[in-house]
Amino acid sequence: MAEPAYTVASDSETTGEEKSSSPFPEIAIGIDIGTSQCSIAFWNGSQVELMKNTRNQKMMRSYVTFKDEIPSGGVSNQLSHEHEMLSGAAIFNVKRLIGRVDTDPVVHASKSLPFLVQTLDIGVRPFIAALVNNVWRSTTPEEVLAIFLVELRAMAETQLKRPIRSAVLTIPVSFSRFQVTRIERACAMAGLHILRLMPEPTAVALLYAQQQQQTVHENMGSGSEKIALIFNMGAGYCDVAVTATAGGVSQIKALAGSAIGGEDLLQNMMHHLMPNSESLFSSHGMNEIKSMALLRVATQDAIHKLSSQNSVQINVDLGTGSKVSKMVTREEFEEVNRKIFEKCETIISQCLHDAKVDTEDLTDVILLGGCSYIPKVRDLVRGICKKEELYKGMNPLEAAVCGAALEGAVTSGISDPFGNLDLLTIQATPLGIGVRADGNNFVPIIPRNTTMPARRDLVFTTVRDNQTEALIIVYEGEGEKVEDNHLLGYFKITGIPPSPKGVPEINVCMDIDASNVLRVLVGVILPGSQHPAIPVMEVRLPTVDDGHGWCAEALHRAYGSTLALETVQKKI
Amino acid sequence: MRCSSYSYGLIIPGSDSRFFSLRTVYPFPYAKCPTRISVGSFKMKAKINDAAFVRQSTTQISFYELLGIPQTGTLPEIKQAYKQLARKYHPDVSPPDRVEEYTQRFIRVQEAYETLSDPGRRALYDRDLSKGLHLAFSARRRYQNDVDMEEKSEWKNRWQSQVSELKRRSMNKDSRGNMSWGARMRRQRDELSKEL
Repeated sequence: MAEPAYTVASDSETTGEEKSSSPFPEIAIGIDIGTSQCSIAFWNGSQVELMKNTRNQKMMRSYVTFKDEIPSGGVSNQLSHEHEMLSGAAIFNVKRLIGRVDTDPVVHASKSLPFLVQTLDIGVRPFIAALVNNVWRSTTPEEVLAIFLVELRAMAETQLKRPIRSAVLTIPVSFSRFQVTRIERACAMAGLHILRLMPEPTAVALLYAQQQQQTVHENMGSGSEKIALIFNMGAGYCDVAVTATAGGVSQIKALAGSAIGGEDLLQNMMHHLMPNSESLFSSHGMNEIKSMALLRVATQDAIHKLSSQNSVQINVDLGTGSKVSKMVTREEFEEVNRKIFEKCETIISQCLHDAKVDTEDLTDVILLGGCSYIPKVRDLVRGICKKEELYKGMNPLEAAVCGAALEGAVTSGISDPFGNLDLLTIQATPLGIGVRADGNNFVPIIPRNTTMPARRDLVFTTVRDNQTEALIIVYEGEGEKVEDNHLLGYFKITGIPPSPKGVPEINVCMDIDASNVLRVLVGVILPGSQHPAIPVMEVRLPTVDDGHGWCAEALHRAYGSTLALETVQKKI
Repeated sequence: MRCSSYSYGLIIPGSDSRFFSLRTVYPFPYAKCPTRISVGSFKMKAKINDAAFVRQSTTQISFYELLGIPQTGTLPEIKQAYKQLARKYHPDVSPPDRVEEYTQRFIRVQEAYETLSDPGRRALYDRDLSKGLHLAFSARRRYQNDVDMEEKSEWKNRWQSQVSELKRRSMNKDSRGNMSWGARMRRQRDELSKEL
């Protein structure tokens, strides 16, 4: 079908570019689902605009309550009081639960939330439930997210007076491709088509590119390149990107991120105020949930105050006979969370290193997210980046969703007469993708921060004489050992012609296409042969589903190293 | 130029092109015996470069030709050329019907940019270029010395062909599914406006 088009490639200049005369293109909206808050933005024809709900809020709490028969989310629901959200009936922080198995430390940290997160610690999905009329009613993170997305969608449709089908969503940098499939699942449940999933700081990078384009008014491609570091720390995740921008093109040089955020600061602080709180709340009775909620609200409040004052007095009666009465200073808060702040510094340093950028090359440092109000966070970012002044042109809570809405307009093919949409983000892979080889090692084939779309391959060989089968186990992540990475899938190559070890060449090729779809192709050839020894395997990943946490272990138990691989040549 | 470069993706006339040279053929099934543009004639802009693409396999022109800059080009020139070509070939902005083809080009442009913007890799590349060798697709990174490389390049080439062919077929089967969303939307819209 597309074949004959190649013969007339000479007039390529005009084939695709003289369009945009169409009647009414659907413009994708931008959605930023945060761990604690979420927002929605759209391109209104000349600029990006944030939507407000019926209560005139731009930022809506990310939670769903199961109090009545019909669950309701933070978009439409009116909370009488903060405590109502913490009554056991509301599920929140799902962004930290989605796509994670019950051996994940992040899931374990969520067990102190005032609803049920139960773990069996065997690598299956955790059991999550809301307390409805003294009954634990089970749900899933996907379901909670979908209910929430349905509300967002309904709100957008009412205001824009048109059906909304497609959206650009932002995700944390550290999300694995498996977690991405869970987000896609939730969107599908909500009837939304995902046009793009953007790591949060890359959405911000696009907004930055547009702002630079507007201020400089330069011709396309000319003008100097600006390098910016974007640090975004919200309630659940900390993300960093280094971007090089010129002429509206934002090239992501490096990404780094981790599941640390305000939630960790809060939990450490709760632990500091009440060292036995975890054991106290583990039974999840009505009274315990109430106590937990009271402590949570008081601690959160104290942390907010410590951003503007040096000390704060906490007095809270937990109802069950225990009371917390304590004076906390800012130094104490910083000391209690020292490890978190150190981790932030590590992430920034790593990102700068990966981007091969020195601090003096940075034009701007952009600090965003709920945690950007914390003095310690501001200080550490300024310190590492050696910048006195932080970038001022963005709202710390709205930048990501605005970037997502911009991307929605750009990739929907909208053009703006003033050139405000002559933008492009060149994305990079946030995590490395590779296979298990050389024992228990993770050998990346597409390294982290590779520009997408991408295709890379690497040659492996057998580890035993007459090895006729090989197991290809695909992981995503940064750990040197496979167990430190996310499993994406596995399959077996069979029918390798018997030969001494090290002779068959097993070429593993990984391809990420324009739609960010990952495919792994494996071919086997014997030296001197003209043709591949067996048909090439082509596998679209991820293939794993929920409860995959035990798969790698099971594979290891069943096969050991009998079907293992080895790299052929040492990397330079 | 040495014959060895033929193993990097030229059509062997009369042979089953599916097996031997899809890297050459891939975007241009009708390309035959490309002629090499001489190194002196550049100062080409991206537009002219496009014509070069048509006549030639992308693997046969040098990275400098690909970016449309002289061999003496400075780092800012390389960056600028890269960003201009990215605006043209990146799947987010490329014309709907040519996404797969442009994706391949974008990957080549990316490779050229990554090589030439790194002083060390650029020096190595320049050395190879002066010997008449073009190393396509990360060959330099993979293989330590040239002997090793030539040995392996033959099968590697076949493998690449195999992979490209496979991919091409799987794409044709469901070409819409493989386009970026924007491209699909643009195509849909184009079709719509044609009907109107």
